[in-house]
Amino acid sequence: MDQRMSGFHRYRRHAKSSLTHTGLEVSKVLGVVETTSTGTGINNAETKLAGDSSTNTASGPGSAARERALVCMVREQDQYMPIANVIRIMRRILPSHAKISDDAKETIQECVSEYISFVTGEANERCQREQRKTVTAEDVLWAMGKLGFDDYVQPLTVFLSRYREAESDRTSTRADPYVKRAAEYGPPPVGIPAPYGPGFQMGHYSNLYDAPTNPAAMGGYFRDGSGGAGPSGSSSHNALATNFDPFAHYK
Amino acid sequence: MRQAGIYSGILSGGISGKTGPHSLPLARIKKIMKKSGGGGGDDVKMISGEAPIVFSKACELFIQELTKRSWMLTLQGKRRIVHKEDVASAVIATDVFDFLVTLVSDDADPTINILHHQNGNTS
Repeated sequence: MDQRMSGFHRYRRHAKSSLTHTGLEVSKVLGVVETTSTGTGINNAETKLAGDSSTNTASGPGSAARERALVCMVREQDQYMPIANVIRIMRRILPSHAKISDDAKETIQECVSEYISFVTGEANERCQREQRKTVTAEDVLWAMGKLGFDDYVQPLTVFLSRYREAESDRTSTRADPYVKRAAEYGPPPVGIPAPYGPGFQMGHYSNLYDAPTNPAAMGGYFRDGSGGAGPSGSSSHNALATNFDPFAHYK
Repeated sequence: MRQAGIYSGILSGGISGKTGPHSLPLARIKKIMKKSGGGGGDDVKMISGEAPIVFSKACELFIQELTKRSWMLTLQGKRRIVHKEDVASAVIATDVFDFLVTLVSDDADPTINILHHQNGNTS
């Protein structure tokens, strides 16, 4: 229980840092909850608030403050990634005998939110300088590179382009793309955008379509498909060319 | 939220292992992004649909890096439990995590970081 209360302590700091027009009084109410570890925390909150406002009782206005405090405590979770997801990602990288203390989990949970804000702030500044209203994925990637996370840029670029291909694949063909490709093993109909990553090697076809070699990361994309992928015609070259654009920025 | 089964199989298998479409909730990421502006002129106005998706992966990489570095310090201390102090030490020891220094040191006010961003300072 105490662990969770110490968690609320941190919620106070984030409340202060993120609340703008929602009102600072909310953060004050939150702030004092940290000082207690029992159910009477809220009452103590009101008592301590006496220093800031004029009321010192637990009736009428006090109960409204109590409600606000409870609501705000619940809502503060919105500032962070769900801790279960964070823990799952942490456990993936740690050996199985490793253990993680609760305060370490919460700290990393907070760090993630700070990371998102940090990078977004930089990306947003760039958008404002260039008078654009929308923060795009490219802005985010640019900001990461600028802020020192250039190790992430390459894998994220690959991730993004795979996502885009999968999305265009999903929206252009209503059916399961694997099934559809199996049916089109022969000459493909016109107009199917080529969702195939560069480096797609169907041994059978490689002498007909010289798919350019590409970063190794993309190489395995379709190799494990059920072999039903029918290559497109010349449209694949155009699509491949456009698919390379996301990489160009980050070379 | 998009749920493309094929897509998740391809991407998850390639990079992050067996997970759902995204490890982290996109709506929550978007909410945090929206709050990144300090208020006033530099509010985040609009966010493309892909930006949270990039972040979902980036946060995975971030968590993994921070966790790995913390764990190395845990091992150095001949322990098996990663404590907050290990995370704090990893942050201090890594240049790229400088923006987290005030966050991991308990007594400092993290609003200082936000103010830095508002003023365009990078320390």
